[in-house]
Amino acid sequence: MPIILENVSFSYSKKTPLETPALREINLRIEKGEFVGILGEKGAGKSTLLKLFNGLLIPETGIILVDGLGPSSVDVRRRIGMVFQQAADQLFCRTVYDEIAFGPLNFGYSRKETNERVNEALEAVSLDPKMLHLSPFSLSGGEMKMVALASALALRPDYIVLDEPITGLDPDWKKEILETLKKERDRGATIIAVTHNIEDFFPLLEKIILIREGKISFHGSRDDYLKAGCLPLPPIASMMRELKARGLPVNSAAFNVEDALDEILRVKYVTQKESISNNPNKKLQHD
Amino acid sequence: MIRFEKVSYSYPDGTPALENVNLTIQKGEFIGIIGKNGSGKSTLALHLNGLLKPQKGKVVIRGMDTCDPSKLQGIRKIVGIVFQNPETQFVGRTVEEDLAFGPENLCLPPLEIRKCVDMALSEIGVEKYRYRSPKTLSGGQIQCVALAGILAMEPECIVFDEITSMLDPDSGTVVLESIKKLRRKGKNIVYITHNLEELHSADRIVVMEKGKIVFEGDPESVFMNSSLQNLGLTLPSLIELAAHLKTYDVKIPWEKIYSPHSFAEELCRLFLKM
Repeated sequence: MPIILENVSFSYSKKTPLETPALREINLRIEKGEFVGILGEKGAGKSTLLKLFNGLLIPETGIILVDGLGPSSVDVRRRIGMVFQQAADQLFCRTVYDEIAFGPLNFGYSRKETNERVNEALEAVSLDPKMLHLSPFSLSGGEMKMVALASALALRPDYIVLDEPITGLDPDWKKEILETLKKERDRGATIIAVTHNIEDFFPLLEKIILIREGKISFHGSRDDYLKAGCLPLPPIASMMRELKARGLPVNSAAFNVEDALDEILRVKYVTQKESISNNPNKKLQHD
Repeated sequence: MIRFEKVSYSYPDGTPALENVNLTIQKGEFIGIIGKNGSGKSTLALHLNGLLKPQKGKVVIRGMDTCDPSKLQGIRKIVGIVFQNPETQFVGRTVEEDLAFGPENLCLPPLEIRKCVDMALSEIGVEKYRYRSPKTLSGGQIQCVALAGILAMEPECIVFDEITSMLDPDSGTVVLESIKKLRRKGKNIVYITHNLEELHSADRIVVMEKGKIVFEGDPESVFMNSSLQNLGLTLPSLIELAAHLKTYDVKIPWEKIYSPHSFAEELCRLFLKM
């Protein structure tokens, strides 16, 4: 079953002089098992949208259904694992173990079941079990993020919702997080990530939702996103699009180094051949 | 201007952070420092104005040794640091108060302090936040105010420690524009980052690994060096593409690799000419 939003609108500080509309008439259907990227400029409403999925924010108008359940249902909280941009904001326990065990215990699982889930989550994020006894606040930024992700995974969620999961991390941790998410996706989980790191995320995304000024300006597959001329784009895709616009016969769907290299070398070969076959004519004309 | 002579430093738990580092930074130079986490970049930055002192060797800032306590104030007037989380370096209730803290601490007369604050606000274009609390600003605005706070002390050298890593691309661009402006004014810039593309126009890049400088040179020679990837550093994709193309005899000049636009322009010039 999917996540469905129908005519959802939301404003902050409603009915006060500070009222700020954040989302307007959102209609959306996110299918199970997809890797979805939510893109858009700062203040477009991306993070607001995430918080609507599991009832952290309640929409002013419209309906939200997660697997057919309303977002205020406790069961939805179990199905949706959330990871916030500042991992430190969602950590509050004395040890890493307590942190990861908090969710399962809170949902009434036995200590034995909880321990199994803690170990499983720890393994999924490839953290050292020795870390279980440390305070989460003594960890590095990348490790904290992993603990936050592990505490979400301990509930074996069907949906993993993340706000800027790799911002501020160094390349090694970025890779770790992306690999973990990919594995979770392969396990069958739906991944929904708000991100500015388009270059790192683009290869993983199956669907893209682009939000502009509180409205959905694009929702579809990555290929359609590339075809539709949307922005932002990874630098390579942006360059390929410009090559095509300038009249070189490249396939502008290439967005990574390997595909772009193949395309450029192919075009080089084609233009070389054309220029050789054109040369004799030119020579004749000169004669 | 700044000289590291055989500098070594280990943290109290015994982790070596710098080992025998020799580095000279000339006046007006824009230096990029790159390396994996834990390679010693930030430790090096903290040595630049005496926040950390070398356990072996010495750091000399325009003739002043950072180990000499009587010189510290002079050194901190010359070298200012902007950190990754600028919230941690705010002290004032308003942006104006915060900016005044540095010059006041340097015992400047009130009129002079006012001048420094005005100059820093207009230099970075943050006058409109003058009476705001730093706590109410966005990430990019905070980073600009932190930079203005350093500028108010009129340093000759400004050290940036991964300042754009938490920012969205637009805010990052605003901060980088401010840095370009400072560079044009002849300020020394020491720029630590994971985002290698931000260093495209640096004068020199220093690559660190396990507390040592393993490589240094101009951006082109550093980025086109194949051993960079072995150090766990990811090249910006356009530079990686240009490096591959070079092996197929398609040469994109360095100054054209900077943006997708100039890259595409150059490829068209090469291919449509054939």
